[in-house]
Amino acid sequence: MRAIIMGCGRVGAGLATRLVAEGHEVTVLDTDAFAFRRLLADFAGRRLVGSGTEDRMLTEAGIESADLFVAVASGDNRNILASQKAKEIYGVQVVVTRVKDPLRAEMFAGLGLRTFSPTKVGIELAHDALFAAGGQ
Amino acid sequence: MYIIVIGGGNVGYGLALELQRLPDYEVTIVELSGSRASALRQELGEMVVHGDGSEIAFLEGVGARRADLLIAVTADDGANLVSAQVAKHWFKIPRTITRVNDPRNEPLFRRLGIDAIVSASGAVMAQIEATMPEHTLVPLMALESAGLRVVSMRVQSGSAAEGKALRDLTLPAGVLITIVISADGAKAPDGSTVLRQGDEIIAVIPREADEQLRAMVTGSHPGGGRP
Repeated sequence: MRAIIMGCGRVGAGLATRLVAEGHEVTVLDTDAFAFRRLLADFAGRRLVGSGTEDRMLTEAGIESADLFVAVASGDNRNILASQKAKEIYGVQVVVTRVKDPLRAEMFAGLGLRTFSPTKVGIELAHDALFAAGGQ
Repeated sequence: MYIIVIGGGNVGYGLALELQRLPDYEVTIVELSGSRASALRQELGEMVVHGDGSEIAFLEGVGARRADLLIAVTADDGANLVSAQVAKHWFKIPRTITRVNDPRNEPLFRRLGIDAIVSASGAVMAQIEATMPEHTLVPLMALESAGLRVVSMRVQSGSAAEGKALRDLTLPAGVLITIVISADGAKAPDGSTVLRQGDEIIAVIPREADEQLRAMVTGSHPGGGRP
């Protein structure tokens, strides 16, 4: 499938690498070219410098024929703006959005975005680790 | 009436100055930058709060639940978009006004049902159109939830509408001519009202009727497009 990943941080780069390995056609967007250092030199996907909130960049990334859109840039609001655009304006079928603020993640999930909150997951994991039986 | 303004930039600051003078209005200005918030606080006092206006927990703390109006006017469209949706869907604030900085984001804002959208470039365009002698269709007000606009037009010489009675015009569907202002003053028109060159028309129109109506009333060329 054709995937666009907005944000080439650790999550974006890791996911891009994995999707390419699974045989998907991947384009990674980041406003900072330096972020692409996180991808392997022989990364088989496309790297694009620009903002995933801008229509011009989304078009260049091939949003019109994309099947998957993942927003994992640093700002919650930018992720939400880009995701709603991908879904509502360009009709991308599967849109996944990282929203750090748990309440905001919950609200936008209610509005139809597939959101996940690393904060919420992190709290759960840390809590479980604290009280794990026989933890070292 | 309680109003929350998100963004203490030039627009938010200007609004605060105006709203502060109205006796029955309680206003909170939310500013994300700490230094900007302190500077504003020096001048405007307690009404300025330092915080993230797109964060639900923070908005709860400034009383968003009892707000009557939320105005999102930061320079960041993502923040404005999120604040407006949080206001509408989470806090059920009855009315929101949202600034869109990049005009290309306007279709998205509209599609998401954000009520009143204010665009600086749109406002300037309206002023420019108002100064052009022909091809003028000046938006006066947007009724976003109904997809309607209130516009003003001036009947141009040689246009399809000139010299015709309203009943003889085939207006685009949904168009309501509400006021005709001629040399004799303003009146509510009926079918027999004849449009003369120079008459000003105030109409409620669906967004998609814009070009067709413009061509009919202000266009002197066949096809009626812009020159």
